[in-house]
Amino acid sequence: MKMKRLGSLLLAGAMMAATLAGCGGGSSDDSTASGGKSKVSLWATGSDNVRAVYEALTADFNSKSDEYEVELQFMLSGTGAQTLADMVAAAIKANQTDTDYDLVDWSGDDLSKIVSQVGEDAFVKLDPAKIPNAANVEAKSSVATDYVQPYRGTTVILAYDSEKVPNPPTTWEELEEWMKANPGRFAYNTPGTGGAGDSFARTAVYNFMPEEAITSDDPTWEDQWDEGFAYLKELHQYMYTSGGKIVYPNKNQGTLDLLNQGEIDMCANWADMVLSQRATGAIKDTIQIAQLDPALTGSLQTLSIPTIGSNEDGAYAFIDYMLSPEAQQIMVEQMAAIPLIDSSELDLTGYEDLAGLDVSNFRIMSIGDLATDFNARWDSEIGAIG
Amino acid sequence: MSKSLKQKLVAYGLVMPAFLVVMLTVAYPIISSVIQSFQDEETGGFTLDNYKYFFTDPAQVQNILYTLYVVIMTVVIALVVAYLLALYLRFMHSRIAKSIGTLYLLPRFVPAMCAVYAMITIIRDSGLINRIGQLFGLDISLGLMYDASGLILMNLWFNIPFAALMITAGLGAIPDSIIEGARDVGAGKFKVFTSMILPLSLKDVVIAGTFVFMTNVGSFTTPYLMGGNAPKMLGIALFDQFNRYLAYNRTAALSVIMFLICSVSAGVYIYTNLKENDWEK
Repeated sequence: MKMKRLGSLLLAGAMMAATLAGCGGGSSDDSTASGGKSKVSLWATGSDNVRAVYEALTADFNSKSDEYEVELQFMLSGTGAQTLADMVAAAIKANQTDTDYDLVDWSGDDLSKIVSQVGEDAFVKLDPAKIPNAANVEAKSSVATDYVQPYRGTTVILAYDSEKVPNPPTTWEELEEWMKANPGRFAYNTPGTGGAGDSFARTAVYNFMPEEAITSDDPTWEDQWDEGFAYLKELHQYMYTSGGKIVYPNKNQGTLDLLNQGEIDMCANWADMVLSQRATGAIKDTIQIAQLDPALTGSLQTLSIPTIGSNEDGAYAFIDYMLSPEAQQIMVEQMAAIPLIDSSELDLTGYEDLAGLDVSNFRIMSIGDLATDFNARWDSEIGAIG
Repeated sequence: MSKSLKQKLVAYGLVMPAFLVVMLTVAYPIISSVIQSFQDEETGGFTLDNYKYFFTDPAQVQNILYTLYVVIMTVVIALVVAYLLALYLRFMHSRIAKSIGTLYLLPRFVPAMCAVYAMITIIRDSGLINRIGQLFGLDISLGLMYDASGLILMNLWFNIPFAALMITAGLGAIPDSIIEGARDVGAGKFKVFTSMILPLSLKDVVIAGTFVFMTNVGSFTTPYLMGGNAPKMLGIALFDQFNRYLAYNRTAALSVIMFLICSVSAGVYIYTNLKENDWEK
């Protein structure tokens, strides 16, 4: 009996501790940071390179601003924990009002997700007068257009080895011809393991469908996937081969490594990944990028101010800073992001390819939960051919 | 409070933290997974469909068979090589044997990711071996990447040292006097091995085998980085169900299936231990 009582006491203690810890996240604390500056909490998620860029940006902003101190709350993606979108959605649905979600950074997918969960009204409708630097930015988010501010972009492109492919294809027909002439020399990564493979497979399928389908999560569109999947099946035989089998590597880096090692001559990949790795010397200088027509999809990274945040003015100040030439320059140099302001104001040395990528023509894809079905169908129809 | 009660309380108090941690982090998730695996994704009602899927969908059946193939090959080869290595280390006393005895544990200290990437750089079709071959005008494509044999090779790197460590400990417990005694009554080397060393060390071999089996059934890093698209090892199939298809009930069912596969090996382990106790009486 004693033991049982002791057990329940300990258990109760543990649960209480867990509950208290659970309450801690997201609630607002003292909004003035040291030095009398008002604190702005910036929430972002992504790979480690995103963290590094944001640390550089916040440090630069904090050294210049007398009024605000931005504090970065970064969540590394893919660690399996609750995602940032889920956290913010949970706080909004729980009717919390005074949180420190002052400013949140969204990828295209996360933005569609949160908007479908809580609606665009959960964010402050942005006042252009408070973001003077945005006046010349043409790029607009397709989702929650007036509530989010795009600040950088990236897109999937064809990465190719210019030594082996002097004239890269510019249309899907040319790409198909090239694949047939060079079997085993092209690869895209398994959809679901990296955005480049997602983009390639989905674009290939959605090219056979009306343009509006690409930004819709209506399940009825699934009926029209057949033609596209038949096309992917036809391309299958020309893909990268290892040990006598067709292989789709995992992750974006998987195909990029193959390209760098010379096992393939072309692959679908992210412009920023290719250019930043080329700049640091991680991949060969002869690797170049090219865009197809119709384009592989890209995405805009945006910032938004949740209405439940507690420092709206500070958030505006940081958004404005992100569109300044200095901030855009940092993003170009550290992550080969496509700048959204006039690139003549920037020094693109080493990243000249970026000037050729026109953000206003970006093809954005957001098919929401259909992506899950898409990946499952790809696995059973394409991946399983072996 | 009597003295014996006090002692008991102290004893329970010492056990309690570990017990609670195990209950919360092992027993509770297992129970909830089992329950979830029998629930319908939509209605939450009882169903066997989640299990049926893994035993009727051709791709999933292939995944299970593929996993068993890779794991069993790994176990068999790892045990044979490790046993030979352990015999060598136990009965040879040269300086080379001693240095091998220190070196063979090295792979255990290399982080798994580094080891996998190192292996990839060597064996991939454009890897080190291919490049050395090209110096001599040969184009060596091993075809090990994205193939079962590559996975087995990588698993051996991880598991041979581990199995050898366990078997060496077992062989070390066999006293020289037994072997000398057998020799004195005229047993040859082969006879000493088959009737003394092998039976005395068999238990350790089986135990090492069960451990190698269990750790490889759920392996993830190696097949994720080195495996092909289909068939997949169950660790990856589980990841797909959970992270890519968001099919949580099927994920739970697959976890239970993997758990059952492992428990066969756990059963062998327990049986071997019990049998030994019986024999020692």
